[in-house]
Amino acid sequence: MNYGMTDDQTSILGGLDQLIASQAIPAPTEPRFFYYGAELERAVAEAGYLDIAREEGFGALEAALITERLARLTCVIEVAASSIIAPALAIPPGMRPIALALGDAGKPARFLPQARVLLVDRGTNVLLIEVDPNNVEPIDTLMAYPYGRLRSLEHLRQRVIDDATTFRRRWRVALAAEAAGCMAAGLAQVVEHVKARQAFGRPLGAFQAIQHRLAMAAETVESARWLALRAAWSDSDADAAMAAGFAQSRIAQITYDLHQFCGAMGLTLEFPLHLWTYRLRSLAGELGGASMQARSAAIATWGSA
Amino acid sequence: MTSAIDSLREQARAWLRANVPSSGPTSEDGPALRSFALAWQKRQAGGGWAGISWPKEFGGRGASVLEQIVWFEEYARAGAPSPLDASFVGLNHAGPTLIACGTSEQKAFHLSKILNGEVLWCQGFSEPGAGSDLAAVKARGRVEGNHLVVDGQKIWTSYADIADYQELLVRTDPTAARSRALTWIICPMYLPGITVRPIKTMAGPFKYCEVFYEGVRIPLSNIVGGLHNGWPTAMSTLAFERGTASLALLLGLLRTVEQLLARCPDSRAAMRTRLAELRAEGASVRAMAYRFALDAAASVPDSSGSIVRLCFAEFGQRVTAAAVDFFGIDAPEVLADHGLGYAYLDAFSETIAGGTAEIQRNIIAERVLGLPKA
Repeated sequence: MNYGMTDDQTSILGGLDQLIASQAIPAPTEPRFFYYGAELERAVAEAGYLDIAREEGFGALEAALITERLARLTCVIEVAASSIIAPALAIPPGMRPIALALGDAGKPARFLPQARVLLVDRGTNVLLIEVDPNNVEPIDTLMAYPYGRLRSLEHLRQRVIDDATTFRRRWRVALAAEAAGCMAAGLAQVVEHVKARQAFGRPLGAFQAIQHRLAMAAETVESARWLALRAAWSDSDADAAMAAGFAQSRIAQITYDLHQFCGAMGLTLEFPLHLWTYRLRSLAGELGGASMQARSAAIATWGSA
Repeated sequence: MTSAIDSLREQARAWLRANVPSSGPTSEDGPALRSFALAWQKRQAGGGWAGISWPKEFGGRGASVLEQIVWFEEYARAGAPSPLDASFVGLNHAGPTLIACGTSEQKAFHLSKILNGEVLWCQGFSEPGAGSDLAAVKARGRVEGNHLVVDGQKIWTSYADIADYQELLVRTDPTAARSRALTWIICPMYLPGITVRPIKTMAGPFKYCEVFYEGVRIPLSNIVGGLHNGWPTAMSTLAFERGTASLALLLGLLRTVEQLLARCPDSRAAMRTRLAELRAEGASVRAMAYRFALDAAASVPDSSGSIVRLCFAEFGQRVTAAAVDFFGIDAPEVLADHGLGYAYLDAFSETIAGGTAEIQRNIIAERVLGLPKA
């Protein structure tokens, strides 16, 4: 693995940044649990970023870079599944947004209210369900993504995809990349806050206790990012499980660390940190959580006990 | 345990079984929450259980610390409403402060109203520029005749939108050293010039408020502890917050751990391990809390309460996080309005409100361990 970005990758991210700058990203001016960036999602799709992994010479790594970058925004869009998972399962480019569920098609799923496709991990295979919007019940939740569940499991348009291993591997990469972006954005927000906020006559960030804890948060952010990118590059089951599991195992601690130094302000909807906290909490519980990824990483590395 | 304690436990258990409301307030916001908190307080007063720690001469039960522990154990077992509700400030801050520092008129007027569920209190300490650094309070009060005229702003005031009175800390002597410049005063929330703006939190309800004061005229007779003497008065209030008031919450968390363990199958080895560790942690926090409560019984709570406060806060965060992981992020128990997801997010405030974890650690390092000041 080359740890520097190629010219192409730099160019892709530069273009994405320009596109983001040209868009009216929903600003957290009013207290809301989340902002769905429908227009940004369309623009990102139209510009071809969600299909980057289908291009010759590119793959999951470029898709993970894009996912990580877009996860830093205050608004949420469905990018990870469309760009990282769909190409590996030969799902046609137009079939998105994509929602994901583990085990049971009737479970609540992120992005289901917007989704055209629901992919259900059934262990030995994957069920692809074409979503009828009238069959989706939105769920009102704090968890920062639009959640929904299918009203009925009868008469679904569906087909089976046999390659559950690839699906689960890419889901883990997608989860790890998105979590890394959310962590990075949250840390950046807090660093700005502790530089500006004064207490006891000096900036909060001048207190060593705060510096140390945020430095540890930076270790987590960097580690999560590199593990996610490594997993996307290697496309190995063990790396993917390790990247997702590491990110999930650190989410509880890093979210507490980040909120701690924003005081009561950081607990309100008027301060955007909660947007990433919610998302991270959702991601922490996906695919059975950190312990399941750790177990999978062990099996992928050393085989079953 | 003595037979008197056993008997108290039986009485408490029987009363709680018959009186604990079967459901919570119809809404987490506004009037419904106020009605619920006052009704529950009234019911406890009617049963002789209000102000369990307050001295009998002020209408309380005058219970010993051991008796209070028994009450809180039964309270938690019965699943009674959170003691950290809208009555909390009146019962655990304002009331005890008035008992310690108030005039006989102030005691006579306010204490029975608090105990009997007639009024709610809120706290007006924190400001946009004065949270942990409480001595940096900027809201001003100037004496004009028989009144203190207050201008300024407070923030993070829980339940200001439904409270009748506020324990308000304002700067009254701009020339004095910070800690000798403040005054603690009873502020009726209905006075002209007060504007309350609820703030929506990331856990859902409008738990906090911002309060603005514009030429608010408060009678000087409402000052508690003397003009410019608000700092020691406020510190006596905060000492209660770092002490025993949260026992019922702690016991509720321990019950949550037991319930999760009972439901956790053998196949979830990692979760069972995590819950078992939480069970051990909870037992240690409970032992510390009990010992601290019993040690502090004969004196004002001291700085070692910070250890209990910190351990309890972090334990609460770990338990609520484990509960979310136990059910899974997509479980109805978690996603539901005011479900476990709410409890988890609400627990973020545990290490911030009432003295941040960093302030508690400073206190432990300097006053418990005797380390030099940074």
